[in-house]
Amino acid sequence: MTRRTRRGGVFLLHLALLAWTLLACLPIVWTALISLRQYVDAFSVPIRWFAPLTLENYSRLWIEQGFHRNFLNTAIVTFGTVTISLTVGCLAGYALSRYRGLLGFWLLIIALVFRSLPHSTLLPSFYVMFDALGIRNEYLTLIIVLVAINQPFTIWMLRSFFVNIPQELDEAAMVDGCTRFQAFRRVIIPVMWPGVITTGLFSFLLAYNDFLLSSSLVNADKLTMPAAIANAINAESEAFLMQGVAGAVSITIPLIILVLIFQKQIVSGLTQGAVKG
Amino acid sequence: MKIASFARFVAPSAALMLLLMALPLAMTFYLSVRNCALQMEMVTVSESTPFGTREVTTQRAVLGPDGRALTTCRFVGLDYFRTVLGLGSGASAASAAAPPEASGAGAVPDNAAQARQQRSTEFIGALRFTLLYTFATTPFVLLIGFVLALAVHHVSRRWQGPYISATLLPFIITPVVGALAIKWLFRDNGFVPYLLSQFGISMFWMAQAWSAQLLIILYGIWHVVPFAFIVLYAGLQSVPQDSLEAARIDGASAWQRLIYVTIPHLAPLFVFVTLIHLMDAYRVFEPVVVLTQGAFTTSVQVLTYYTLLDEQNPYKASAAAVLTTAGIAVLLLPLLIKTWKEHRRG
Repeated sequence: MTRRTRRGGVFLLHLALLAWTLLACLPIVWTALISLRQYVDAFSVPIRWFAPLTLENYSRLWIEQGFHRNFLNTAIVTFGTVTISLTVGCLAGYALSRYRGLLGFWLLIIALVFRSLPHSTLLPSFYVMFDALGIRNEYLTLIIVLVAINQPFTIWMLRSFFVNIPQELDEAAMVDGCTRFQAFRRVIIPVMWPGVITTGLFSFLLAYNDFLLSSSLVNADKLTMPAAIANAINAESEAFLMQGVAGAVSITIPLIILVLIFQKQIVSGLTQGAVKG
Repeated sequence: MKIASFARFVAPSAALMLLLMALPLAMTFYLSVRNCALQMEMVTVSESTPFGTREVTTQRAVLGPDGRALTTCRFVGLDYFRTVLGLGSGASAASAAAPPEASGAGAVPDNAAQARQQRSTEFIGALRFTLLYTFATTPFVLLIGFVLALAVHHVSRRWQGPYISATLLPFIITPVVGALAIKWLFRDNGFVPYLLSQFGISMFWMAQAWSAQLLIILYGIWHVVPFAFIVLYAGLQSVPQDSLEAARIDGASAWQRLIYVTIPHLAPLFVFVTLIHLMDAYRVFEPVVVLTQGAFTTSVQVLTYYTLLDEQNPYKASAAAVLTTAGIAVLLLPLLIKTWKEHRRG
């Protein structure tokens, strides 16, 4: 291959990648753009590339509609889910990486089956169960449900990180007089931080992005952001629609920050278990 | 590790999964063959109006000693399954489908009942679209993801980071928000219809079933391509360089190296991505809710969701849920068996 054709090839590659990047970002960038406009400028024929900018939609949403309430709800639910998921998941993931018996194997297979179960199949029972116990529309109920539903994924991922930590490490600690739990707590967890952070990121995304369960198990002043924004789905009134647009952008901004900071961890999390078989 | 300490470590996680996944799933099966309805009694109430007193006979829920409405629950067999599948011979389905508590028997206006009747035959339709979505998106996800992975693999290192960041965005974005963003892009007076109108094409994307379905599929591809890309890109890093080198020395062209060395090496990853995507595509939910509002297209999850939300009927929803479970089992069984056999052989 001559140098010239190679340079042409690289140019084509960049062109293709740029085209994809444009496609990948367009919906979000365009939404962000129109969120700063009034309705007449946001949806106009012909479309306007430049229009007066305004923060009106955001102030309406956050101040008048009290979107900060939904933000707080999301923060509570997400924080609770991540903390409990990681605590429970680390214990199980560690045990699954160290135990060689058949029971562990079956637990993993069952978790895999549950991983593929559509969440809506559990919803009717949740309604009946939680209504009978009178615990529907509670933060804790939603948190525990999210933890349980994400457990299969969490323990698989954490296990794949724990497997990479040599057994000799905990054995050495136990020879030195640690109990199994102390070895786990004092020796293994400190070297596990990268894995815990990566798994934590994914539990964060699962809880933060959840719509199906959040919109059905809690309501009114406990709604999370994605569930609250569902009101904009059928919005016909212009003001309501523009608030939805502003809400969509508000939900996305933390995620963009997350990608910029934790890109490496997200990539490693996605490939974990995939590359190593 | 000894089994006793294994059990202690695993207990919280296993208990959670047992209580909030296994038990509810079993309960869904139980609920799907039952129905509960309010106990109603006929009462005669005398109403005094300015024009005299008249007696009105009406239905009223029977209250128990604790002030709660009493319900009668009974076994209805497969009645709800027949309704959901649209097989219901009118009489048996109607008697079984006597709406439970919240709808309040007798209080349901006729058109609502009719709408319910219509949606009740939609499981097959929902399943058909779910499968269409699953099988229409999979090849594009794999192909586009692989092409992107190859492209990023071949550009210089300093460009890889930004491309990966930008690519991750559709994947991590909240699905409701992503679907809404696409909806606003394709909305009347929106960005895409305007661009198309420049070429003389004018259409309302959300107004017909086929274009709404196309949008859902486009959303699906847009949303999942990054996942395939990341996994395959990581796989490309691990293609053994000496095999590629050997192939080059033996005179293989770039295309041949791709076909005979790279792709076989990545085969397990293609299988992995396909499997994960099959599971996730089967639960397609947010884009269907957002882009069609349940109007012409439903997916199996959406069907259960609306049965529960609009009709407040957990028994009928359970029947839909059981069928959903059966669907995913049928879909994944061949793959699981294959993996299992390979696992045992290997």
